[in-house]
Amino acid sequence: MEFTMYEQIERYLSGAMPPEERIAFEALLLTDPRLAVRVQEHKQLLDALQKHGQRTALKNKLSAIHTNMEVETETAPVSGAPSPFLAFWKRHSQTMAVAASVSLLSVFGTLWSVQQLKTPVQQQTARYIELRREVEKIKKAHTALLNNINEGAKPVPRAARFIGTGFAISADGYIVTSSHVIEGADSLIIENKAGLKYKVSQVYSDQNHDLAILKIEDPAFEGFGKLPYTFKTTESDLGEKVFTLGYPREDIVFGEGSLSSSTGFEGDSTAYQISIPLNPGNSGGPLLDDKGNLIGVISGKQAGQEGAAFAVKSDYLLHMISELPEKAALSPITLPKSNMLTGNSRTQQLKKLKEYVFIVKVYN
Amino acid sequence: MKKSLYETDEAIIEGIRVDDDKALAYLYKLYYPMISHFILNNSGTDDEAKDIYQEGVIVFYEKIKDNSLELSCQIKTYLYSVCRRLWLKRLAEKGRYASRIDDSESYLMLEDDLTQHEENERQFGLMGEALEQLGEPCRALLEDYYLRTQNMQVITEKFGYTNTDTAKNQKYKCLQRLKKIFFSTYKPQI
Repeated sequence: MEFTMYEQIERYLSGAMPPEERIAFEALLLTDPRLAVRVQEHKQLLDALQKHGQRTALKNKLSAIHTNMEVETETAPVSGAPSPFLAFWKRHSQTMAVAASVSLLSVFGTLWSVQQLKTPVQQQTARYIELRREVEKIKKAHTALLNNINEGAKPVPRAARFIGTGFAISADGYIVTSSHVIEGADSLIIENKAGLKYKVSQVYSDQNHDLAILKIEDPAFEGFGKLPYTFKTTESDLGEKVFTLGYPREDIVFGEGSLSSSTGFEGDSTAYQISIPLNPGNSGGPLLDDKGNLIGVISGKQAGQEGAAFAVKSDYLLHMISELPEKAALSPITLPKSNMLTGNSRTQQLKKLKEYVFIVKVYN
Repeated sequence: MKKSLYETDEAIIEGIRVDDDKALAYLYKLYYPMISHFILNNSGTDDEAKDIYQEGVIVFYEKIKDNSLELSCQIKTYLYSVCRRLWLKRLAEKGRYASRIDDSESYLMLEDDLTQHEENERQFGLMGEALEQLGEPCRALLEDYYLRTQNMQVITEKFGYTNTDTAKNQKYKCLQRLKKIFFSTYKPQI
């Protein structure tokens, strides 16, 4: 009976056979190869049948999921009307923000750096620095330190606010400096290397030429004696060796160079351009040539360009002095007549000269 | 967007292992765009993308069910590699040799996994044909009994047999016929 035999095989394969029958059946399988083949085939057939069923079910499931998914994606855009744009925006907003900020940065960065490249050029023509020195900060710090050391001691004298340089123009105590040095001054004190210290008053100031005349008021002042230098009335030549003395710091400083142009800042014909390294505090200093003629008064320099300093021509100083009697109701100033510097070595010249060069301290 | 329960690959695999249809659906939706993009970029159509992707998912699914899945990479990479391989094969069958495959993802070489799959596929195809040839009501009878595991009593009533013995006899005859048809073409290769 084939029919019952297959039932038996099926029960064997599904594991539903009771143990005794199973052992008997397995023994039979060993002795009967034809039966073994049949069992094998039957197993394969049922396996294939089952796999087929499972996979068909899985395929149906996947198709259902797919249809479902397509329905979702089709209905989604309908529910949100502006959705293509919104979806794009949502997905890329961060990237776009980054891109936008990068482009903004680069645009403004470029503009800024172009500006930066341009500005020095403007500065070269536009900035003129007056060389009086603001000393308050340094001084204050200094006095604060002193106060700390001897606390309760008597108050330290008030320090000067600005410092410039000045020099004598006559034996009876007239001093020339730059008008911007003494601008806004309450009181003025001059000192020289020898330790002489006088209170001075402003006699006249010409802001156009940046020149000022001071006079020593101290009763103890007995006159300078003979000044060693004279004033040059004609214009000096290009390339002439020039030098100056000044007080860019508390000590007198010598500076040497040459006359590099017969006009000053932005073509100012009342001034020379000179190639002497100058610093704040040099303003008002005398500019002399090799022979010891005074040819100008230091007034300022050009920002951002080393070695481009300016000095007012002595011509204008003399002119101003000659006008003084009318304008300031003064007795005429007697200028020195003889030059004692000519032919001396530079060091000799400086020795003689430095007594007449003063530090001008401005208080306000 | 709603947070999913299946955030890790392990969660998805576990879900499929325990017959969680939601896990399968989640997986399916997650990577369909990637495969669809790949197929469409490599001279395929939407229908082909769907076909290939489903076949790829089936490979993955059956591997999980077999407990033979040794995943050394992300599911994403695995599916991409399988589908890529399947698509190359499909292109070759159609006589269109892709001179250059436009890849958007990295992929693995999966020769072993796919030989098993091809065998399964062949068997599936032949069994399908055999069942087709078998015709009704034999097919329904066998499927009811072997797949939907309905008992003979229910089957007897459903198919209008006089008693279960007739039904059993009928089932036996159907199975014999199926066997004959199936083994006439199918020779197991493994």
